[in-house]
Amino acid sequence: MNTPARTPGRRSRSILAVAHRDLLEFVRDRRTLFVTLLMPMAMYPVLALASTLGLRTALSDLEARQAPRQLVLILSGPEAVAFTARLKDVIRTDELRQRPDWPSKVAVEMVHPTQAQRLLDEGTADAWIQVAPGTLAALDGRGTVPLEARTSAIRPRDARRQAHLVAVMQALADDARQRRVEQAGLPPSVLEPVSLSFIGGPKAEPPASMEGIVPTAAGGVLVLLALLTATGAFYPAIDAIAGEKERGTIETLLIAPASPGEIVTGKFLAIWAVTLATLLVNAVSIAGTAAVLLKFLPPGYDLGIDAARTALTAGFTLVAFIGLAAVAAALCLAVTSGSRSGKEAQNTLTPVILLVSGLSGSALLPATGGLLFAMVPFAGQVSLTRSILAGEPAGMAAILLLISLVSAAAVTWLLLRAAAAALADEELLFRGPEAAGGLLLRPAPRRRPSTMQGFAAGLLAFAALWYSQGLAPENLALAIPFQQLALVLPLVALLAWQRVDLRHTFGLRLPRAIRWPMPAFAGLLLGAGLFIVAAAVTLAIRGSHLSSSARELAERIVTLIDAYPWPLSWALIAVLPAVCEEVFFRGWLLAAIAGDRPGPRRAAVAVVLQAAVFAGFHLLPERMPQTFMLGLVLGWLTLATGSLLPAVLAHLAHNSVPLVLVALADRHETRLALGDTSHMPGWLVAAAAVAALAGFSLIALSRRR
Amino acid sequence: MIEADRLVKHFRSGDGGIVRAVDDISFTVTSGEMVGLLGANGVGKTTTMRMLATLLKPTSGTARIAGHDIIREPLAVRRHLGYLSATTGVPDRLTPREVLVSYGRLHGLDEPTINTRVTELLAALGLETCATRPCGRLSTGQRQRVSLGRALVHDPPALVLDEPTSGLDVRGARDLLEHLERLRGDGRAVLISTHRLHEIERRCDRFLIIDAGRIVATGTRDELAGPTGSLEDAFFAAIDGGPPP
Repeated sequence: MNTPARTPGRRSRSILAVAHRDLLEFVRDRRTLFVTLLMPMAMYPVLALASTLGLRTALSDLEARQAPRQLVLILSGPEAVAFTARLKDVIRTDELRQRPDWPSKVAVEMVHPTQAQRLLDEGTADAWIQVAPGTLAALDGRGTVPLEARTSAIRPRDARRQAHLVAVMQALADDARQRRVEQAGLPPSVLEPVSLSFIGGPKAEPPASMEGIVPTAAGGVLVLLALLTATGAFYPAIDAIAGEKERGTIETLLIAPASPGEIVTGKFLAIWAVTLATLLVNAVSIAGTAAVLLKFLPPGYDLGIDAARTALTAGFTLVAFIGLAAVAAALCLAVTSGSRSGKEAQNTLTPVILLVSGLSGSALLPATGGLLFAMVPFAGQVSLTRSILAGEPAGMAAILLLISLVSAAAVTWLLLRAAAAALADEELLFRGPEAAGGLLLRPAPRRRPSTMQGFAAGLLAFAALWYSQGLAPENLALAIPFQQLALVLPLVALLAWQRVDLRHTFGLRLPRAIRWPMPAFAGLLLGAGLFIVAAAVTLAIRGSHLSSSARELAERIVTLIDAYPWPLSWALIAVLPAVCEEVFFRGWLLAAIAGDRPGPRRAAVAVVLQAAVFAGFHLLPERMPQTFMLGLVLGWLTLATGSLLPAVLAHLAHNSVPLVLVALADRHETRLALGDTSHMPGWLVAAAAVAALAGFSLIALSRRR
Repeated sequence: MIEADRLVKHFRSGDGGIVRAVDDISFTVTSGEMVGLLGANGVGKTTTMRMLATLLKPTSGTARIAGHDIIREPLAVRRHLGYLSATTGVPDRLTPREVLVSYGRLHGLDEPTINTRVTELLAALGLETCATRPCGRLSTGQRQRVSLGRALVHDPPALVLDEPTSGLDVRGARDLLEHLERLRGDGRAVLISTHRLHEIERRCDRFLIIDAGRIVATGTRDELAGPTGSLEDAFFAAIDGGPPP
């Protein structure tokens, strides 16, 4: 039998063979067809119909509330007859009917005071005025006539009718004002000191403009489009690897002469094709629904739509979303490739899809956009369209589109690499979950936590930390232990469920070096040096400006240091975080991601990932670069020494520096210690750099020996 | 044709310990020979076969299929090997013809060769009448024959079959085994494992009995059981009596 050579053409044939096979499977799956084609075709019309109906009901309610109503005014008292005549004379003027607050009809009746309240309570009359003797004389005199309009004691007051009565009384007052001016022999211009008129072209009719509603509505539709496009990849991705594992067909692919990369690429192409079909159907449905809505727009309404910009927006959006569809397809494939069954894949993928919609929704926040934002998958595509609608020039939009596409390609490639690695993983392929029984299927003991358990702890701790922000006491001395507790409590719960080798997971042993004090000393040097070096680097890059949150935190820390004896401040600021955070990040999380005896690549990935999570946990953006760098060093330190102790000491030294500076120096250095200063003494940075370098060298040397 | 050379496979158990699934196994299956791999559940049969099929990487040792090393040339091995197990399925929404065509393409065969080969296989496996029905609507026996067709579409000189008759009725199993005998007759090397010893007792040329990851007995039926004894008795004697001297 001939053995064909592995040429690029042969690889392409393998990829296309897998893609063709999978695509046939997908299009014959009714769930896929429903989610891909039917749901989008029905969703937009239903949403539009529901929102239009809701809008129309709201508008008609508003119109009904604002429509002029009849005002029935009843008068009584000795001068009621004369007052009625005067009022009727005043309100006869046609001009008054043009006022927006004028009633459709004014009925003025005279009644006996004993009947008035009953008429009000029955709803026959809206207001009753008792006209006191001398009212008319006072009206033509120089004083102010007090009038009391009584309304029903039992019926709620109608705001619209009240406004009508105010307008009617305003007309009476205007008339009286006019009469007083005439009686005083003054010209009518006394009442009009300034007259303004416009000279120019014909008067423009103010349109019932809805300009501005388009970008807002488009934002919502784009988030929905991103979500539904990603949903198009949902079932095919579950079917592609997890489904094949369940059916036992994945083995038949893996024993074909194609690499995991080729298999994953073929599957990706099939999923991408389905996702693109979803995108296309969504786009058609959106365009069709928009056309229908425009047709039913009431005459005179202007949406401020420019045809050329609309075409540009639609074209750019579609191209950008092709990139989004690729990322969605690769993401769904990567997430499900680690699952052993369809159910497991569905459970894993559902939160990811929700997360994706959250990410695209972040583009609707104010002050988002720009070159960096365009690189973020899902958010970048939505942001791009919004910026074009907001008037971004075509050239800049093209650059943003290019960045978005390049970023999507890079992310897709990375995700496919991850999917291929998971596909080739023997454990994921052939081994089922190791359950030891019990109500919650408590897993069998492990040497180290699994990667999923690492991230589960991360998510739980993040949630606990987030909620603890709201519950934490104002006093920092109580808030710090509260937050550290929030960090480690989920870990304790997880440990009760998944038994691990504590010594191995948390590096509870002395460093592997020949003499353990050396790595411990190196850790102290590294941590202390890093604080100053990182502060200097941050200062050089970002300047001395601090956000109000960062400034407030710095001031609270200084207050804490000043207010308490140093052992307590030190325990709160340095010891507690050094122990709790190291146990969590360099203990559980790093052990989970790195696994047992990691190779250089896996170790590097684990160090970077846990450092990113560590930085993310320090919620303030200003602190993230510094904490990320610290996380990298501490992660490396733990893996290099095989012990958590040097990392705990380095963290301790790092957090102790502010206390030392506050204790030894004046307020200037205090601010310096907290990163708020216009300059950094050169000798201090140099000494810190030497300390960090010495610590690093000691660890490196002890490893070599 | 199939040569296992000191194959070892260790798995790491959840508590950090080592499980020796396959512990230093060596054997050969030559062209035109059908060899039965016998053993209880969990003794390393499937792991051995998965290593031969390049689905698992050996911890140490190696194997060669048609002269190609399973570690260094996995893709070449796959081109020369047909693999089928009780757990390998067929895609439910594809027809038998589509399944065979897609695997023919994956093996890099040209379209005319695929068409000829697929038509031949469908006829040989008795699948002509259901060639255009989705596999999900086929019987277990028909599906297993589609699986066998998939394993044979690239005309491999070596076959590794892990419990291929599992789930089949008596007739289905006999049809499949008769087909395998014909393949052996065509000069293919066949390694087959099954729990139903009587099915292969008179069909295999030799047997390898495996226990706790090691080969504990090997030989022809007569060598293991004698002319009057049963293979089943020989099997129990081998696994209960430990490795031969």
